[in-house]
Amino acid sequence: MVDSLSLKKPVVTAPAPQNGSRQAVNRSRRETLAAYTFLAPWFVGLFLITIGPIVASFYLSFTDYSLLEEAKWVGLENYTHLFTENPRFWTSLKVTGIYVLVSVPLQLGFALGLALMLDRGLRGLSFYRSIYYLPSLLGGSVAIAILWRKIFGADGLINGLLALFGIQGTSYVNDPDTALGTLVLLHVWTFGAPMVIFLAGLRQIPSSYYEAAAMDGAGVIQQFKSITLPLLTPIIFFNLVLEVIKSFQSFTQSFIVSNGSGGPNDSTLFYTLYLYTKGFKDYEMGYASAMAWVLVVIIAGLTGVNFLASKYWVFYGDSK
Amino acid sequence: MRSLKTAALLAVAALTLTACGSGDGGDAASDGKVKLRFSYWGSDSRQKMTEQAIAAFEKKNPTIDVVGEFSDWQSYYESLATKVAAGDAPDVMTLEIRGLAEYAGRGALTDLAGKVNTADLDQSILPAGQVDGKQYAIPTGVNVFAMLASKSILDKAGQELPDDKTWTWDDYIKLSAKISEAGKGEYYGTEYTSNNPAYLTIFAAQRGEKFYDNGKIGLTPDTLKAWWANFTNLIETKGSPDASKMNEIIAAGQEQSLIATNKGAFGMWWSNQLGAMVKSSGQEDLSLLRLPKTADAQSGGLFLQPAMHWTISSKTEHPAEAQKFVDFLLNDPEAGGILLSDRGLPINSKVLAAIKDKLPPADQKSLAFIDSVKSELTPVIVPPKGGSKMEDIIKRYTEAVTAGQQTPDEAATKFLEEANAAISG
Repeated sequence: MVDSLSLKKPVVTAPAPQNGSRQAVNRSRRETLAAYTFLAPWFVGLFLITIGPIVASFYLSFTDYSLLEEAKWVGLENYTHLFTENPRFWTSLKVTGIYVLVSVPLQLGFALGLALMLDRGLRGLSFYRSIYYLPSLLGGSVAIAILWRKIFGADGLINGLLALFGIQGTSYVNDPDTALGTLVLLHVWTFGAPMVIFLAGLRQIPSSYYEAAAMDGAGVIQQFKSITLPLLTPIIFFNLVLEVIKSFQSFTQSFIVSNGSGGPNDSTLFYTLYLYTKGFKDYEMGYASAMAWVLVVIIAGLTGVNFLASKYWVFYGDSK
Repeated sequence: MRSLKTAALLAVAALTLTACGSGDGGDAASDGKVKLRFSYWGSDSRQKMTEQAIAAFEKKNPTIDVVGEFSDWQSYYESLATKVAAGDAPDVMTLEIRGLAEYAGRGALTDLAGKVNTADLDQSILPAGQVDGKQYAIPTGVNVFAMLASKSILDKAGQELPDDKTWTWDDYIKLSAKISEAGKGEYYGTEYTSNNPAYLTIFAAQRGEKFYDNGKIGLTPDTLKAWWANFTNLIETKGSPDASKMNEIIAAGQEQSLIATNKGAFGMWWSNQLGAMVKSSGQEDLSLLRLPKTADAQSGGLFLQPAMHWTISSKTEHPAEAQKFVDFLLNDPEAGGILLSDRGLPINSKVLAAIKDKLPPADQKSLAFIDSVKSELTPVIVPPKGGSKMEDIIKRYTEAVTAGQQTPDEAATKFLEEANAAISG
């Protein structure tokens, strides 16, 4: 900045450029100051509400902290108890794992399928795009979770439809065999967000590729396999990483649908819900903090694996 | 010009920063009054009544300003625990019996013995507020866990109101099945409760066992299995809706219960819930019955449960004023006249006598019921620290057994393991 300014200025007298560069320095300093001033409220938030609690929770994870008394240092006890003596920890991991493994591929599959259909130059695209995007905005909300409880309840919409065919259904959200399935459906239903990203990705693929392929006699399926899919892998990867992290942290759905219990019989006990129960209901905030850090490690690990594996299937146009 | 802008921005930032720190105005209100914070949960109508009682107290004590901190039940303990953790505990706190040992056992409460006048209170119920021999809490009022019976459904099904002095669990299950059969899906014999430890406590007492016994769970596996058999028998004979439908009804809460929606003849509830049940079902002729007994029962097992407790924080800066307020709530007929039976039937005999005629019919009925069972009661047990987890544990294993995911044998072993671990910490 300073260089380019002084370069352009014709050197007339000695003090002039000096003066100019001082002005420039002053200005850039003022701009920096202004920038920090604008950022100040966010820094306060970042340190007080985000970084502070993160550091505190790391410390608390090594303590016995009931909220009602001072935290007592217990070393690694929370962690060892978690891994060796707590079957519900494993239950919650299993429930969350199944949820992620089933709902993420299904959701991404749906999103990609619909994106492909919408990309074929449908009329009123923006209308459909908004309609399909809507569930993503609402999916994590309390209202939808309550609606879900009603739809899959004993006297809900599903059973109302089944009754037309003379089938008598049960209360799906309250049957341990089907409760998690309803939450998976809820997650799949929010396919709009990845769909919009897929649509954007599809738009990036030059149409000349398809024209060339068509000229060589490649059919629709061949085109999809050889052009669309490879060129879309970075987008698929992006969506995958995002959705795995998001669904691992799911909380509201299970909290509302199961009334905060993760029931029936722990069939919808998401990891985060169990963590919350430990911290706020069982007066074991230290233990809950340890669980939070285990979750951080799990998610970081999964994301790392995702990135490593991506070397083998994600195709970036510029790589050889 | 520019520097003026920067200065303005800095000023704004500074204001934002200081605004974050100006939350605590201190306890001494500017008008010289002592500010007393009082936390409680409940419905809107309870909030209105409580505000009235607070106003009456402030009129008598113009130097004290009581600030009610009200929340719904779902989030009550969460926000209270957070306040206590922040060193910002309300001076007077409402707790219920399961939270009592959690707070008292962690040094959060003041011993009220000799500080609040308990002379006119029912002495037999005071132990319900004691932990380690200290009177950390005083009951606001009492309830009994009872069987609600709907006369109109019984009539519809062509059945008589059973004699609750002699009926057994078997009688109850058989009668329920008959009613469901007559109801043809329109109404059921009974609903069951999987999430109230009172049911299991009473069932165990009938078999001579205490839920908590010397710091351990006093239940035997046989009692648990017999208890769960009540559930599975009801489901098999269709005396109650099936397990998943029952899970749904229980999760939906009191207002969606079979009794409240007029779809069932029986249901177990606290006696103070009678009024609400009459209101939502529109049935005036709901009766309170003793729970059925096991065939060779040693006692009926019913006990007086404190609806809630008044407690005072151990960290309060105004102990004298806090005691005065609790004293007012417990002993002043004016407070009693406003609060009536909203927090259970008053345990102060003088207050009770003064307000008896003001009570609505449903409360008169539960008062009469409590009087009639008074001679058969079992002492109440204060759950130890960790006891607040019990409701969840009972519910979970009951769900596992009723859904057929665990055998009663397996569930009994695991239940005892987990329940004992919960209260050992």
